[in-house]
Amino acid sequence: MPAETPSTPISSFSRLVRIATICAPMLALIGLWQALVSAQIWPEQVLVSPFRVASTLWDMAASGELTRHLGASLYRLVVGFLLGSAVGLVSGGAMGLSRIAFRIGAPLFHAVRQVPIIAFIPLLILFFDVEDSFKIVVVAAASFFPVALGTMDGIASIPKAHLEVAALYRLPLASLLWRVVLPATVPPIVTGLRLGLTRAWLSLVAAELLAADSGLGQMMEMGRQLFRIDVVMGGVIVAGVIGFLLDRSMIALERRLGRWRLA
Amino acid sequence: MKRRAVNLALALLLPALLLALWQSQALKGGAHAYAFAPLGQIADSFATMIADGRLLLHALASLQRALTALLIGGTLGLIAGCTIGLWRPLEAGVTPVINALRQVPVLGWLPLIALWFGNGDGAKLILVSLATFYPMALNAQQGMHAVDRKLAEVGRLYGFSRWQALRLIGWPSALPLILTGVSQALAFAWIATIGVELLFSASAGLGTEMMAAQVAARTDVVIVCILCVALMGFALNQLFGLVRRRALRWQASR
Repeated sequence: MPAETPSTPISSFSRLVRIATICAPMLALIGLWQALVSAQIWPEQVLVSPFRVASTLWDMAASGELTRHLGASLYRLVVGFLLGSAVGLVSGGAMGLSRIAFRIGAPLFHAVRQVPIIAFIPLLILFFDVEDSFKIVVVAAASFFPVALGTMDGIASIPKAHLEVAALYRLPLASLLWRVVLPATVPPIVTGLRLGLTRAWLSLVAAELLAADSGLGQMMEMGRQLFRIDVVMGGVIVAGVIGFLLDRSMIALERRLGRWRLA
Repeated sequence: MKRRAVNLALALLLPALLLALWQSQALKGGAHAYAFAPLGQIADSFATMIADGRLLLHALASLQRALTALLIGGTLGLIAGCTIGLWRPLEAGVTPVINALRQVPVLGWLPLIALWFGNGDGAKLILVSLATFYPMALNAQQGMHAVDRKLAEVGRLYGFSRWQALRLIGWPSALPLILTGVSQALAFAWIATIGVELLFSASAGLGTEMMAAQVAARTDVVIVCILCVALMGFALNQLFGLVRRRALRWQASR
């Protein structure tokens, strides 16, 4: 891209400024936290210094404990999300493409969609016990609804004229999907995936707080029971960082697929 | 007319099939009966829970918790959002911090809040308020930016004071987004209320009741509670939708 070359130094500088304006308040927050600790208003059991939290996280990472909990959580998240979004894609696609599937499925879908996933947790425990499968089902259910809805909305947003032209040219099903359906539906589907992933993470943490033998939520819950405030705060930070990375990766995917659509 | 009847029949087809499947599993007995409660038993529990006032007690406790938290968290969020929306230097400093804290799943704060404030009603209120704070603050902040340039110009021409400009131009332009913030905060308040009640099983509430029923393996009670949560959440959304349309009547002409 020769046209962009002259602006590169400026844009990299402005990018640096942007990163600084985001990082500076964070550093200020950590500074304030440390100042509160140094002022010794609260005892050590109530508020630990950020350095203690960092060293606890480091120790737990070194001993493999953090990795074990994080690995368990991420395994459940990935398996449940893949399962839930696959079922969401298929059923959302069916309801979007077929009139009869829509009339049969959509009323129930929209009714169940109103219920917060968290409210299903006690029922799911009764059915699946508190093993891994229960948490995977929670994650799958949390990601299913936004993905199915995004798929349905996406198909509904395909311009009618394009479908008519495709019908006129007797486009085979494969090329109809690839050339007409996909370009219009990919952006809402990716938005659905992003929303689904966020909700999946929230529901997983809640489920693990409630009942688990491993996982990030369980690590925090055990820290709470042992009055290890450093473990709890470390868990909060890790949960936030994971949430941030998940959201960022989906935004990146959104941009990438958006570009593919224009090309 | 006929078309509507067909639509209704098709809409009821899948629920009817699922209910029949459920009922057949429940009547099989043995290991299945543990999780599948017969439909008749669910209806019976529903009637009993209404008759002895248990359902009303828990539903009102949850509703009160959600609305109190909405009032606290929503007000704080509105003030915070308006302040940072109006004052650019503060906005640049505070927005990254809010965005960073927002990445933590709300219920993930629960162990920390429990360590600091115990697991009583206070801790629950704090957590649900936090859940309502973010959507309110973010929408109010955007609302403060939503002022039409031309209108602001007119205000300057008329020599409006800062307060007049805010009341006559800023507030009406921000109102739609602020109301969006309230409706999102309402939804989050309801979800978070059920979540904290599941996790802190202390005083009354639908979540607490569900958790107790789960421990006692009473699927029927769990399902009655889920239905109650669903209906109340739906009713809250619909009611606020009405309020919102009334408040924004003037917008219809646009």
